[in-house]
Amino acid sequence: MTQLPYAIDAETALNPAELAVLRAQYEKEGDMVGVQTKFNYAWGLVKSNTRHEQHLGVMLLSEIFRTSPERRRECLYYLALGNYKLGNYGDARKYNDLLLDKEPGNLQATNLRALVDDKVAKEGLMGVAIVSGVAVVAGIVGGVLLRNFGRKR
Amino acid sequence: MADPGHDNDFPDPSSFDDESSVISTRGLEAFGRKVTTTASHLMATRTDPGSNPHYQNAMSEVHRQLRRPALQRGMFSMTRTTPTDMVRSRLSTKEIQSRALSYVPDEMLQNIPDADSSYSLFQGFQASFPDFTDEGKKHRRRVSRGRKLIDERPTTPDGSPESVQKLKKEKASMMHQLEMLGIRKNMASSEIREVDARIENLAGMRRIVLDRLANLEQDEAILEHDIVDVEERLEEAQELAAEVESVALRTPTKTDEDAASERGDAPGFMSESIYEKLPSANSTPSKRKPRNVRRKSMPILHEHFEPGTMIRSMRAHHDSITALDFDAPFGLMVSAAMDDSVRVWDLNAGRCIGVLEGHTASVRTLQVTDNILATGSMDATIRLWDLSRAHYDPQGSHFGKEEDDEDAIAFGNPDDPPVDPPAGSMSDCPLFTLQAHLDEITALHFRDNVLVSGSADKTLRQWDLEKGRCVQTLDVMWAAAQASALSTSDDTWRQTARAPDMSADFVGALQVFESALACGTADGMVRLWDLRSGQVHRSLVGHTGPVTCLQFDDVHLVTGSLDRSIRIWDLRTGSIYDAYAYEHPITSMMFDARRIVCAAGEDVVKVYDKVEGRHWDCGAGIAEADEGKGPAVVERVRMRDGYMVEGRRDGIVGVWTC
Repeated sequence: MTQLPYAIDAETALNPAELAVLRAQYEKEGDMVGVQTKFNYAWGLVKSNTRHEQHLGVMLLSEIFRTSPERRRECLYYLALGNYKLGNYGDARKYNDLLLDKEPGNLQATNLRALVDDKVAKEGLMGVAIVSGVAVVAGIVGGVLLRNFGRKR
Repeated sequence: MADPGHDNDFPDPSSFDDESSVISTRGLEAFGRKVTTTASHLMATRTDPGSNPHYQNAMSEVHRQLRRPALQRGMFSMTRTTPTDMVRSRLSTKEIQSRALSYVPDEMLQNIPDADSSYSLFQGFQASFPDFTDEGKKHRRRVSRGRKLIDERPTTPDGSPESVQKLKKEKASMMHQLEMLGIRKNMASSEIREVDARIENLAGMRRIVLDRLANLEQDEAILEHDIVDVEERLEEAQELAAEVESVALRTPTKTDEDAASERGDAPGFMSESIYEKLPSANSTPSKRKPRNVRRKSMPILHEHFEPGTMIRSMRAHHDSITALDFDAPFGLMVSAAMDDSVRVWDLNAGRCIGVLEGHTASVRTLQVTDNILATGSMDATIRLWDLSRAHYDPQGSHFGKEEDDEDAIAFGNPDDPPVDPPAGSMSDCPLFTLQAHLDEITALHFRDNVLVSGSADKTLRQWDLEKGRCVQTLDVMWAAAQASALSTSDDTWRQTARAPDMSADFVGALQVFESALACGTADGMVRLWDLRSGQVHRSLVGHTGPVTCLQFDDVHLVTGSLDRSIRIWDLRTGSIYDAYAYEHPITSMMFDARRIVCAAGEDVVKVYDKVEGRHWDCGAGIAEADEGKGPAVVERVRMRDGYMVEGRRDGIVGVWTC
């Protein structure tokens, strides 16, 4: 039994019926919703594959963070994970690093940091590739145009 | 071997090699090589790269750094996120919006307390998740129990390795379940704690709001008083203006009196004597109107108090309270005692407004409705009073003494002597006197313009308050005889009817509603009269002692008697609907939609909650029982809308919520 979920856990979406149950429970409790119920729904949303639901999940998690100080530490991790899933690596890293400052030996957080680093590196490289590709194309086009100009003159 | 700190002194063999290669001098190089070999020889015996964590860590660190291309490292060691993320966070409005919603302020990030809960939210999620999909805990438990029973038989006999394996697996899964159950237990208990905290929080909020309500009500009362003042002045001004106008228009021979009177030609229809007894036509409505404005804003504060809370306690008289009534919660109260005085109180301020003088003996019964007070006395007269004509300022500006310490008065010590109101504050109140009874008045009730009184002369009289005279006299004994003569089963009736108890009032209680009249008498009978025919149309037999109190609404009639019982009758069928008894005779009773309160010879008021079907005690006897001083027995009790006033034998009046 682990205290915190690994990032893999967040990748598997719940089926809609399960999420509906969680939502119903959350809505039933209304304004006086308990932390656990709120988290259950939020976690179900974060696990989802649609970006909209993930957003909602992260929002709920941040609400939990704001309202219940005794849950803040673990919420850091959930927030980091949620933002990682959303692709907000900046935020994910911010939360995760905060947690790692407090708990240097946290396996899940270490794992998440590595994942974030990898993702940033990979996407960054891709970005560079795209940018440089565009630059090359622009250069070629520019060169061709210049040459054309030159010929016309 | 050497302590672990020692081998930190030695650098890595590889790095050592690198370093020595930099040095160009041959001699030093040779020396370095020597050192390297000895060092590696010394270390090789125990510094197995696989087992040394330091070495491994260092190597993996180096490896990871080496694995990444130098270009990439150079480009992205500074960036914290990817370009797509950056683009998204700056350009897409939807993204920006959702980020703003889930933004956590930095000071909160700084303030992270140590986690002290025994389970994480994720564990809670895992533990409760099966519940959402399965059909609940019970179902699952039954399944697991069933599986265990099936498995038990084949596994126990043989000792093969598979069965051991199976049992181990089963044990593991059961341990897991146990752990889950532990977490769920923790969840439930922490949820309860959470709810408790929330309840406490809400209770605090309730207190604050209650205080606010109290303040608002106070302000309201003051403002209403000001409105009354202004209205009075307005009316005066209008009257004056009208007078001036009429004087200007009419001939100067008209007197002021005729001009002021709204119905100037009315006296001609009536005899002088009756006209004098009537409330003067132009002053009563003008005084009553502002009071009606006051009614519109009903005080509701007491409804929000905990039932059984004391609002106020006042030493009203020095002798036993004989009668007591009030018009509305936080309104006017009138109390009468054995000391022959009748006092009018402002329940809002807990202050005596004045003393009503006129009766020559003590008042036995009274009723206040809409500022009209009727008192029935042992001197065989009934007096009517208009309380709206009292000279009284609710803010207490004309009692110099009380102004200083209003709080001390409001929540004053009940043992304080009653503050004497200014003499003559009630001089305008008396309306008229009804004289016809031959013996003391023991019960009266009025509604609209009909007043019915019961007396020890064994008669009931019906009065017309418009004309101020007796309309009819009902002889209880005669009517009883008539009823028994008409009744087919007069023998049984005779047996149940007791001889009147001489110590008790002959007419204990009565209530009138249009032409219907109910009266309870000392023989334990409750008779329902029709005022149009003057006949008893129904007798309710049941009480074995004198009836002392009675009240009916549209469905039920409730009676209390010295036989210690309260009986609730069904008005339509005349049968008993419910009945219960206390330990002592009932002296006073009143009910509203929710509860029946009665004074039953104890130092507390007995309350029966009809909705919850619960009996409870309310009053000074509960709080003061611990202090060792027993409060006096409650003699009279009145209650309206959960606002209860009780009068005791020692003259103290307590106000409670119930």
